[in-house]
Amino acid sequence: MITQVENPILEIHDLTVSYDQNPVLWNVDLSLPGGKLVGILGPNGAGKSTLIKAIMGLIAPTSGYVKVFDKPLNEVRSRISYVPQRESVDWNFPASVLDVVMMGTYGKLGLFRRPGKKEKDIALKSLEQVGMSGFVKRQISELSGGQQQRVFIARALAQEADLYLMDEPFAGVDMSTETAIFQLLQEMTAAGKTVIVVHHDIHSAMNFFDWLIMLNLHLVASGPKELVMNEELLRKTYGGKLNLLTRVTDMIRQKDFNPLKS
Amino acid sequence: MTFDSNAFLIIFTGSLIAISCGFLGVFMMLRKMSMTGDAISHAVLPGIVIGYFVSGSQRSLEVIIGAGFLGILATLMIDWLRKKARVQLDASIGITFTLLFAIGIILINLLAYKVDLDQECVLYGEIAYLPIDSWITKSGLNLGPRITWLAGLNFFFVIGFIYLLFKELVLTSFDENFSSVMGIPSKGVNLALMSIVSYTTVSSFESVGAILVVALLVVPPATAFLWTKSLMPLLKLTAAMGISISVLGYYLAYWIDSSIAGMMVTVAGVFFGISVLIHGKKPAWFRGTSPANQPFGV
Repeated sequence: MITQVENPILEIHDLTVSYDQNPVLWNVDLSLPGGKLVGILGPNGAGKSTLIKAIMGLIAPTSGYVKVFDKPLNEVRSRISYVPQRESVDWNFPASVLDVVMMGTYGKLGLFRRPGKKEKDIALKSLEQVGMSGFVKRQISELSGGQQQRVFIARALAQEADLYLMDEPFAGVDMSTETAIFQLLQEMTAAGKTVIVVHHDIHSAMNFFDWLIMLNLHLVASGPKELVMNEELLRKTYGGKLNLLTRVTDMIRQKDFNPLKS
Repeated sequence: MTFDSNAFLIIFTGSLIAISCGFLGVFMMLRKMSMTGDAISHAVLPGIVIGYFVSGSQRSLEVIIGAGFLGILATLMIDWLRKKARVQLDASIGITFTLLFAIGIILINLLAYKVDLDQECVLYGEIAYLPIDSWITKSGLNLGPRITWLAGLNFFFVIGFIYLLFKELVLTSFDENFSSVMGIPSKGVNLALMSIVSYTTVSSFESVGAILVVALLVVPPATAFLWTKSLMPLLKLTAAMGISISVLGYYLAYWIDSSIAGMMVTVAGVFFGISVLIHGKKPAWFRGTSPANQPFGV
C-alpha cells in the first residue's frame, strides 16, 4: 500500500542502507507531497532513524538515491532542518538556551560571519513558539528532558527551513507539551512546510498526522492516514503483537476517538 | 626587586604558550578529544625527523610542515580506525600514536649520522634556555629570543583561528550531525583544528616539550570547566590560569632550582586538585537560583 505522488517534495528511490554488510533498510521507494505532517511509524529497530539519517546524507546508502525538492541533497541543505534525538549530544556543553537556538541560523549565515540582531530575534521568536521564553539565559545543562527537546525544536524552527525531519521529538515530553507542539507543527504545515516525524505512539499518530509511513526494515505503507491506518497494515508493521493491535483497531472503529477527552 | 628581563621573557613566553594551548584545549575537551592532543603531540615525531632531514635544520619551515602533516595523518588514522575498523576510541588513539612515534624513533636511528636530533629534545623542552637563544638577522640585528617570537606567532594564529571560526567550532563541537545537515563542513573544521593543534604542539616543543604540552592542552580547560558552565568565561578562566601557572611555575622553579615547564604543569595540577576539592563542597547558594518551571499552555 504505497501511494506515490506527482511533484513530490521528497523522493526516495530504491534506497537500501546497511551497517557492516547487514542491510537495515531494504528497497525503500516512496514519494511525499509537500505541506503535510508526515509520521514514520514502526517497531524498535525498524530503521526509522536510519531512514531519516539516510535522507539527510548522514549515512551513505548502499544503493538508491534521495531527491529533495527535486534536487540532489547538497543543493538544498539550507532548506532542510533536523531535530536529532535528544541523547545524541552532551547536554553538559557550556552554552545557554539562546546560544543553542541561534545555532539554527548558522547555516544561512555562511562561513566566518557572526550572528547579529536579526539572528537573535529569530531565535527569540522560535523560543516563544515552543513556550521557552522564560529560559533564554538558562544553561542547557540545567534543563529537564522535555525542555531540552523543546530547545531542539526551537533550534530547528530558527533555521526557517521548508522541510523538517524530527527524530522522536516527543520522547520524554509530557502530554500537554506534546499536544502544543503538534499544534505548532500543524500550523507549520498549514503554512506550506513539510514536517516528517519519527513517532512511537500510534494513538496520537492517528490524531495529528496527515500522511503515514509504516516501516519494518521494508516499507510497509506510505500514504494518506485514512488509507493506511488499518488493521492489516498495522499487523504487517508491528508483527503479531495482537493485544496492542486489537486495542488500536478498536479505537479506529470509534470514529471520534480522542485520547485527550474524558 | 629590580625588573628581571629574563624572568619576564620566560614568563611572557610561558603564558603565550599556555594560553594558546588552553584555548585549543577548551575545544578539544568539548569534543571529547583531549587525548587526541596527546596522540598528535607524539605522532608528529616522524614528521619532524623527515622535515629536519630534508632541510638540515631543526628550525625550518619543513619541520613544521612535516609535523602538521603527521598531525593530520594521526587524526585521520584515529578517525578511520574508530569508524571503519570499529576500534574503540581510546584503543585507536593508543595504536595510532605509538605506531607513529615508533616510526619516528626508527627514522631518528636510521638517519642518526646525518641528523642532530634525539627523542629527548622532542619529549622534553627547556624554556630556561630561551634568553640565550636569540634571533639574529643576517645584518647582525638582535631581535630578541627566537622562541618568544615563535610562541607569539603561534598565539596570533590560534586567536585568529578561533575568532574566525568561533561559531563553526562551537556548533561542530556541540552537535556534529546537525552541522553536517546544515552544510557546515564539520570534517573540514575538525581537520583545521587538528592542524592548528599540531602546529601549536610543534612550536611549543623547544620550550615545554611533547609531554608537558599535553598537560597545557588538558589541565587548564578541565580546571576552568569546574568553575563555569558557559563558554566565554571558560575561555577567560583558561587564559587567566595559563598566566598564573606561568608566573607561579617560574618562581617556584627558580626557588627550588628545577625545571620551569615541569613546575608549570605541577602548579596546574595543584590548581586542578584544589578546584575539585572546593567544587565538591560548594554550598547551594553559590550555584545560583532557578526560575520556577512554567507550564507550557495549550
